[in-house]
Order: sequence, then structure tokens, then C-alpha cells
Amino acid sequence: MSEKWKYSRQLAVIGIGEHPSNMFAEKAPVELGLYAIKQALEDAGISKDDLDAILVHVILADRFFNTDIAWARMVEELGIGGKCKTNYMVHSGGSSASNMLQTALGLVATGSAETILIMHVEKLGTGLPSEGVRDIFATHGISEEWEFLYGYNYNGIGGLLTNRFMHETGTTIEEIASVIVSLRKWAALNPNALLRRPLTVEDVLSSKVVATPQTSRMCNIVCDGASAIIVTTAEKAKKITKTPVYLLGMGSLVTHYSLMSVPDMTRLGWQQAADEAYQKAGVGPEDIDIAEIYDSYPILPLIQLEAFGFCDRGKAGRFVYEGNTLPGGRLPMTTNGGMLCQGHLGAGGGTAVLVEAIRQLQGKAGERQVENANTALVSEVGGQYMDAHVVILGR
Amino acid sequence: METEQKKAFEERLGLRFAHWNAPFWEGTQKGELRIQQCRDCKHKMYPPRVYCTRCLSANVEWIKCSGKGKLYAYSTIYEDPPPRVAKFLSPPYTLALVDLDEGVRMLTNIVECNPEDLKCDMEVEVVFHNIGEEVNLVWFRPKA
Repeated sequence: MSEKWKYSRQLAVIGIGEHPSNMFAEKAPVELGLYAIKQALEDAGISKDDLDAILVHVILADRFFNTDIAWARMVEELGIGGKCKTNYMVHSGGSSASNMLQTALGLVATGSAETILIMHVEKLGTGLPSEGVRDIFATHGISEEWEFLYGYNYNGIGGLLTNRFMHETGTTIEEIASVIVSLRKWAALNPNALLRRPLTVEDVLSSKVVATPQTSRMCNIVCDGASAIIVTTAEKAKKITKTPVYLLGMGSLVTHYSLMSVPDMTRLGWQQAADEAYQKAGVGPEDIDIAEIYDSYPILPLIQLEAFGFCDRGKAGRFVYEGNTLPGGRLPMTTNGGMLCQGHLGAGGGTAVLVEAIRQLQGKAGERQVENANTALVSEVGGQYMDAHVVILGR
Repeated sequence: METEQKKAFEERLGLRFAHWNAPFWEGTQKGELRIQQCRDCKHKMYPPRVYCTRCLSANVEWIKCSGKGKLYAYSTIYEDPPPRVAKFLSPPYTLALVDLDEGVRMLTNIVECNPEDLKCDMEVEVVFHNIGEEVNLVWFRPKA
């Protein structure tokens, strides 16, 4: 493929909504979801009756609501029964939102639907007892006989990746901890974020060890939240909003199911996914103004910064440590605070960084607005980092 | 033997038991670490599969491994494991990815080692750990 993708700038986001990430024991999932949807409709300036398709994310903490939304509960809550053409779940864990953009593009390109709502709700913060959450992170996407039996869990996966990456690249633990420092600086500017108090490298490293070499502050924290994204054709978007955000390109690669099966876990599939996305969008790393990078553990952004061409191999840790990803830095990174500071929303971790990229490109990011942000890179991944997804958006 | 193991998995561990994996668990009872090899294309596999993942042949056999390998990656866990696992693992315990000499990578636990002494690429050897009459887990320790 040498020419630019023919679907570049064909799909546009016209509105976003987000419920703050925190603990909301008193709120039902449907309330969180409707809050985000109403905000997205207002942001787009359209009526709910304009929606003709709904794509929903999995909700890990509530199996009943999960079935409800797959079976069109939101169509009814929005009173669009008899008008909405299709409603279904797209689920690949943390990369669901990227797969939904791809699905939405297919729907609009084939004329199957025109104005599509993408919705995510999660209640991992208060929807389950703590044993239930622990069980999810030791069983979901984890093989019972070959992984679960050894006490495998996602904090451990982060630890395995971190130790091997440090061994191969010489990256230091202080450099890795500086990812949290950067994310906290951004989260301090984000009213929707859960963990907003600034931290130093020493603060990060002095917290309790959880899964070596990661401390508790290097592990994500689950919470409740919701988000909504409304997309339509580029043509329609220009008539509806002054701030359309276009899908320029995307790339993806599924490399494995189990971490046992990926030959090089210090790289995963990120470079191939980014190369495809850059090529489709007709841009390169030098054109990216903001990188909204999936960050369930601090090692993930470092692997990606290198694979995406922002840093040479082994230099990402130093790049972050020196402040390049901070507000005002060369490459603003994960400007909502990410899963590590805005909060882990299950399959919505990738959705939250996508929403943030859109917000920045709309120029509506408030105190943390990055000036002259024209092009953003978003990354998402699901399961045991099974699939690398890169999305490039532009104004 | 397969029936006993199935019972142990389902009733004692609360885990599903897949019948095609029975030779793996039988091997552990005899002190053998076994992996699969395709008779047609010679591809070696772990974890066990229904068909060969390279050529989809059903003509798959079990081979005995040397039990030796290198530590690809590790992480020592200081949190409680889920209750079903807590019967035989308590923190701190070490998760590891071990590259067997036969060319496959295995998720396992490292035992008989101080966490501070762990290093990537160190040589390790298999040790079988009995968690009840019917089931031996495959763990590793630093090579003697």
C-alpha cells in the first residue's frame, strides 16, 4: 500500500461525553451511561432521534447490565425503538473502542447507518466485592490450567514485562516510575480523574511492592465511570459541528492470546500497528502533536514510545524522566492521566484515551488543553496485550 | 488416572479439565515434563492444543522434555492469589516465563530461590510439586 487510505477523513466524531471516574456506589450503571450519552448529544448539538446505531462495550462488573445493553436496553432508554437500525456489542477488552471505530466506519461507508453512538460504562470500583475484582483480574483472558494455577494476574503480567524490558534495554526503575509522575501532572488538571495529587519518583518507588519491580503506585486502580462518542460521515459532520474530529488512519495486529506465545514481549505488535496507521493517515511520528497512549502499567507507554518512533530503543525511559511528556513538554502524553491516574475502567481504558484525544482536538480540554493540537495518536490494547491498535485522528 | 485428575481439577480446584491435556498431567505423576509435537510438521507446542497450531494436523504426540531452561522473565507477587490458588500458593511467590531447551515458553513459578537472586536468562530446572494425591504442578528452581 503506497497511496493514502481511501477512507481517511471519511468518518468524523461530532460529540463526546464522559462521567467522572471515581467510586459511585449509589449510582446504577444505566445512570452513568445516560449521563455520558446526554453530554455527548449536547456536545454534538443533535437530538437522540438522530441516532441510528448503537455500539456498546462490555461491562465487566455487572453481568446482567452487560446482557441488557447487548440486547438493546439503551435503545429503549433513549426512546429510539423503531428508529435505531442496529445495536450490538463489540468486545475485545481494552481495544474495544478502536474496533468500534473500525466497525462504525464500515457502517457509514456501506450506508448501513449514519449516526452512531459508541457507549461505555463500568462499575469495577463499587459494583463488585474486592474478591470479585481480584477474580476478574486473575481469570479474564487467562487460561485456567496453564496460567491461573500459577497465581497469574495482570499486575504480574506488568511485572514480567517490566523486568524483561529493563534487562534488555537498561532502562532504570526511576525512569519507569517517572511515567507515573507525568500521568499525575496531567491528572491534576483533569477534573474527571481519580488520582490527582502530584507525586515524585521517590513517592512512587516508596509505596508497597505489589509485583516486582512494580509498587502499588505503578499499578492501576479500578473505578466506576462512563463515556460516549458520537460519529457520523465527514460530510454530515461538517454541517453539524464546528469542531469535527476526523479518523485519519488506523492499524492493528493481534500477536497472541497468552504472553507465553509472543516471541518478543518488549516490543509486542506496536510497531506494525503504528506503521499501518501512519501509512493510512499519510503522517509520521514527527506530525503527532499529542500521544494518548494506553497505560495500564507504566512499562506499556515506554514500549510504545519506542515502537511508534518517538524514541530510539531503550531511550523512552530517559525521554519521560526528562519531562518531555509533561504539560508544556515536547510530546504531551496521555493527557487525561490514563488508566494509572484517571482510573482503570475495564474495557474502557482505551476508550478514555480516545475520548481525551478527541477533546484535545476539539480544543475543549480546559486547563490541560495542548495548544495547536492538530493530530493525535491513540493506542489501545486488550487482554494480555494481545492486540496492538493505533488510531490517528486529526482536525 | 484421567478420571482421578478430572475429579481433582473439577472438585478440589474448581477448574475445568480438558481431556486432551491428560498426558501432560500423567507425565507429572511420573516425574516427566511433557510437551506436544506434531508428527507431521514436527512443530513443538506448549500449552497443549487440540490440533497443531502450525499445520492444523490432529496427528500430535507427547514428548518428554529435559526439564531444563532459561528464565525469560519473572515477577514476585506480594498480593494474595485468588482463593482457589491460595490453597497451595501464598505471597510472596514468583511468576516466571521459562524458555525450555526444547524451544517453547512456559508460564510457571520459581521456587527455592530468594527473589533478590532472580535474574533474566539464569538457568533453571524443573521441580514437581504435589498439591494433592492426583495433581503435580510443574515449578522451576535455579539449576543446581
